[in-house]
Amino acid sequence: MTIRDALLRGRRRPRNVGAGSPTVYRGDGYEFVELRAYVPGDDVRRIDWAATARSGDLQTRVILEDVALTLAAIVDSSPSMHVGKRRPMFCAAREALGAWFGAAATDDRCLEIGADRITPPALQRNPYAVLASVGSATTPPFDAAHALRTARGALPRGSALLAISDWYDLSAEDDGLLAELGARYDCTALIARDPWYDELPLDGIVRLRGAEGGRIRAYVGRREREAYRRAVRERETSTLLRFTNTHWRTGVLRERDGAASLGAAFGLRPGEVRAR
Amino acid sequence: MSVDRPLWLAAGAVLAIGFALLYDRFQRRATARDLAYSNVEFFVAAAKPRAWIPRALQALWIVAVASVLVALSGPHLSLPVPARDGSVFICIDTSGSMASSDVTPTRAQAAKGAAAAFIDESAPGTKIGIIAFSGTAGIVQPLSTDHRQVASSLDELPLPNGATAIGDALKLAAENLPDGGHRVVILITDGVNNAGVDPLEIARWLGAHRIPVYTVGIGTPNGGLIPGTSDEATIDEDALRSYADASGGAYARAENATQLQDALARLGRITSLERKAVDASLGFAVAGALGMLAAFLLGFSTGRYP
Repeated sequence: MTIRDALLRGRRRPRNVGAGSPTVYRGDGYEFVELRAYVPGDDVRRIDWAATARSGDLQTRVILEDVALTLAAIVDSSPSMHVGKRRPMFCAAREALGAWFGAAATDDRCLEIGADRITPPALQRNPYAVLASVGSATTPPFDAAHALRTARGALPRGSALLAISDWYDLSAEDDGLLAELGARYDCTALIARDPWYDELPLDGIVRLRGAEGGRIRAYVGRREREAYRRAVRERETSTLLRFTNTHWRTGVLRERDGAASLGAAFGLRPGEVRAR
Repeated sequence: MSVDRPLWLAAGAVLAIGFALLYDRFQRRATARDLAYSNVEFFVAAAKPRAWIPRALQALWIVAVASVLVALSGPHLSLPVPARDGSVFICIDTSGSMASSDVTPTRAQAAKGAAAAFIDESAPGTKIGIIAFSGTAGIVQPLSTDHRQVASSLDELPLPNGATAIGDALKLAAENLPDGGHRVVILITDGVNNAGVDPLEIARWLGAHRIPVYTVGIGTPNGGLIPGTSDEATIDEDALRSYADASGGAYARAENATQLQDALARLGRITSLERKAVDASLGFAVAGALGMLAAFLLGFSTGRYP
């Protein structure tokens, strides 16, 4: 099971139908996935007679549909992603991005939707070239909603879209856009976890500098730490819920391992994620 | 407030401002060392950190340093202090109208009791003298620090009789007051000046020599008949107020013995005090040192230092 397999299964599965009722299409693929009980309507040419003889019930071979996927990614490159506890959260985002494009097969198309452009097709087969364009000095300020609207206008229906951000600038008015994207594409959102999610490492009079502007000099005590702990959890939960409600696959981007964070969103164990 | 060494204050202020500017510059350079956070607005909304604590610490430092600077410049504050060389003449009206009983038992008796209350409230060491006046004025008790003797001299006041020579009484007080020190004249009367020199002229002279006249009018609004006559005892309040104003004093009206006693007792406390420029260096220095200590302890406890 890989991220690509999960994406293909998502394509096979009609939307809003529960798990366990996949529809098997006749595809051009040859990669065997699994055996399962025959369901009326299955292509009879996919019935595995040997397995049927062994089990006594009709068994259908599920073959991986071998089609080209369009893998698109939006990665928040704003300064707020360049802070972290031990390293910038953006490093974890790059790892997740590597794993995302690493899941691409030879014929798949890879697109990076940046703050100001979509990566030209000439770079489709070279994810590293795509990554190199992210966060350059000339890049205009990242706007998540703008990037999502760009994706809506540019990607073909059925594409797989990954969006990684801390989602600070996502407003309530953007829920409609999220729902539209969720209905049109196989969307996955990774929410960058607050570096101080576990514990606010501040005590006494502290000075904070905002990555995107603003400074504060104030006293932080036990009361403040507790309030912050609650607020951070509430924010993460509510953000995840917004995406889940609009049919996005969701996950939390952890600072220590971006690739594993992406895999966890697909229900994969860390070793099952292949990065490029 | 005045300072002995204004140049020191100015130099100190310049140094303090220079230090503050340098400190601010270092703080700006230290911005790179500030903790970076993704979204300060969210942090403020989430943690609600108390921004007033560092501001209070800063203000405490400023006040403490300012106090020390002021202490170094030799500040003097004008404060009311007990008068060591105070001299007070109490001029008591003994004209015929003071026998009126609209103020119980009589105006004269009430004035006597009030004068005794004044003597009681006066600070020890204050010289007090008594002048009685009717058609003329005379000293009943010269200035003395022996308040017991002064109080007993009130028994020697003549019985109410005759006209009211307020100007003569004020003039006699002016002649017998010492040339320097804290000097006050108390005038207790119920009538209108009808004999002797012009009191307003004397009051102006006293005011020019920094001798305030505190006037106390005694009598009910309806007044009372002067015993043995058909004349009414009235008060010329405007005149009494003008004497007080001309000399820098104050006027008070008493319609009964209690009010009169309270007014005189209050005057006793006021006239025992004088405004003097007091050296406040020690106070400012101690306040500055305590402020610095408090600021350091507060900063230490809130993790500002070391």
